[in-house]
Amino acid sequence: MIKVSIVIPVYNVQEYLTECMESVIGQTLKEIEIICVNDGSTDGSPEILERFAARDKRIVVLHRENGGYGCAVNEGMKRAAGEYVGIVEPDDYVPPDMYQDLYRTAKEYELDFVKADFYRFTTGADGEREFVYNHLSQKPVDYNRVFTPARCPDALRFVMNTWSGIYRREFLEEHNIRHHETPGASFQDNGFWIQTFIYGGRAMIIDRPYYRNRRDNPASSVNSREKVYCINIEYDYIRGILTKNPDIWERFKYMYWFKKYHNYMGTLWRIGEEYRREYVVRFSEELRRGMALGEIKRDVFSDLAWSHIQGMAEDPERYYVCRVYAKGADERLFERINELELKNQKLKDELAKVRGSKSFRLGRLLLYLPGKFKKLIRGKM
Amino acid sequence: MGNKDLKVSVIVPVYNGERYLVRCMDSIVGQTLKETEIICVDDGSSDRSPEILDEYVRLDNRVRLISQRNAGAGAARNRGFSEAKGEYLSFLDADDFFEPDMLERAYRKAKEQKAQILVFGSDQYRSDLEEFHHVDWTIRKHALPPYRPMNYRTFTENVFKVFVGWTWDKLFEREFVLKHGFKFQEQRTSNDLLFVFSALVLAERIEVEEAVLAHQRRDNPESLSHTREKSWQCFYHALTALRENLVRYGLYYELEQDFINYALHFSLWNYKTIQGGKKKELYRMLKRKWFRELGIAGRGKEYFYNKGEYEEYREIMKRQNLAEK
Repeated sequence: MIKVSIVIPVYNVQEYLTECMESVIGQTLKEIEIICVNDGSTDGSPEILERFAARDKRIVVLHRENGGYGCAVNEGMKRAAGEYVGIVEPDDYVPPDMYQDLYRTAKEYELDFVKADFYRFTTGADGEREFVYNHLSQKPVDYNRVFTPARCPDALRFVMNTWSGIYRREFLEEHNIRHHETPGASFQDNGFWIQTFIYGGRAMIIDRPYYRNRRDNPASSVNSREKVYCINIEYDYIRGILTKNPDIWERFKYMYWFKKYHNYMGTLWRIGEEYRREYVVRFSEELRRGMALGEIKRDVFSDLAWSHIQGMAEDPERYYVCRVYAKGADERLFERINELELKNQKLKDELAKVRGSKSFRLGRLLLYLPGKFKKLIRGKM
Repeated sequence: MGNKDLKVSVIVPVYNGERYLVRCMDSIVGQTLKETEIICVDDGSSDRSPEILDEYVRLDNRVRLISQRNAGAGAARNRGFSEAKGEYLSFLDADDFFEPDMLERAYRKAKEQKAQILVFGSDQYRSDLEEFHHVDWTIRKHALPPYRPMNYRTFTENVFKVFVGWTWDKLFEREFVLKHGFKFQEQRTSNDLLFVFSALVLAERIEVEEAVLAHQRRDNPESLSHTREKSWQCFYHALTALRENLVRYGLYYELEQDFINYALHFSLWNYKTIQGGKKKELYRMLKRKWFRELGIAGRGKEYFYNKGEYEEYREIMKRQNLAEK
């Protein structure tokens, strides 16, 4: 019997894929299947997958035309036969005991899902990795006890990720929990993540770190209009799911806005500066709509967050100038100073070079001598 | 021309429209988009409209004329639409007129985005003043998302006020309409509201062409008010039918507040623009039944987006109490 199906959506990750695959096939839990969905990679990823598949019969490789992250994970999950299902991103990796421990816990407490703390890591110039422990929750009491996510909207405060745990397959199927399939979009894990919470009957988070999440390039900025609004599209989609059931919407709407707000804020600072004004205007429109519909609640937010919400809702232009553009202005100023200093240095170097050249010294001599004569003559008179 | 190449079917219900019909028809047959069929449905006119239309049928083989006994514009549109074969549907009114490239531009934009509904800009032509009046409420630009796909969930204002519940400034993808079986209500007025708003909430891809492409003829607004003398109840039937559809689609819960706000807005508009003996009757119905049945009564002030409209509603209810004393 397959205890855990591990789905790996793969798109152009040849540099990292081997380490990821090694870490999955090396699991101490042996009754697993590994479903790799090659989402139309154009690099060497497919060959790497096929090589692993030849080595290990538990690996299934599906090749498909590029359709985006959501489609790829959905397709993998559709094929999953395990009692539980997990997701691993192909540039991350997992420690050997991860799925054994998670599976044991899930079985012991009969859980719909179990999630664990994790590490984020970056790689220095010397190849040395630096690991940072990440807690799913800031509150120790949230850990190691069975809770019912469907009854605990506050659990949406947990750190959002879909890969640090495993999900009972029948639970996912019963509620038709899937990823959003907009082509080319990102953030499609948000919708999946929220669905696991709104429907979850028995769940647990555990305070031991397993999953290793790569953060080599965390500041990769978003620079196309389609990408800028991916998060909005995802939250429109999530709203559609939540509002289908009035009970669920009434229970989760405030936390839906909490999550949405923080995601939008993250996006605002990640997108190119040329998109920020427009983004703030749209953000403001959405906030005002949410307020008119009574979906946004003061208590849910910190004082700081609330001051941002009010500022943005009331006057987006002012908010943009004072709290977005001005903040960016410091960075721009530093950049300009650096630029000018560099230019200054370059000019100084050039000047030194000119001064050091033979023709310059000769010229100076030629100009210097007539002056000397004049002075000499003047002196005599 | 094979049906496959038919890009737009234009459906024009005509009822005693001889006065403006030529200008309207000229601007339809003269469209720069040629892959069209033009289905005129004469709704039992007693004036010269049929003869005028016959002339167009004779001169242009894209024009067809269907005649029916007077049954209202809703029935006429359903009839015309049942015979349409084009990729998109355009329902125009016989007293309006259009920019020559209206269909071309609207169709192009619709195709670009695979839109199920396309809405284009329009203005009003005041025939009493012979002036074009700019209007900014047929497309509420600030309530539209800067991203696509656009659907009602991306609107940041009352879903039923972002566009107007009439058809003539829109294209509808025929497949989409057929799939969901949208129909015009067969009543004298407000027969298009159900069709437009049902489509609006089910469309996954809505697109907008902001250019002003159509001119809606408006007479002196004062003179409009007698037309609903016989049909003063129609708007109420349109609203309740829309609510039924929203329930059927499983969207009523999500859209209830928008619907009720719109219902109040539309009721007040109907009340304020009707004149003659029926005004009193409408007033009584609103007070006694309809405000309650539409879900407006019993809501607190905070429920209403437009506080002015809420006050008008309160005023009507208050006066009732006084009258009953």
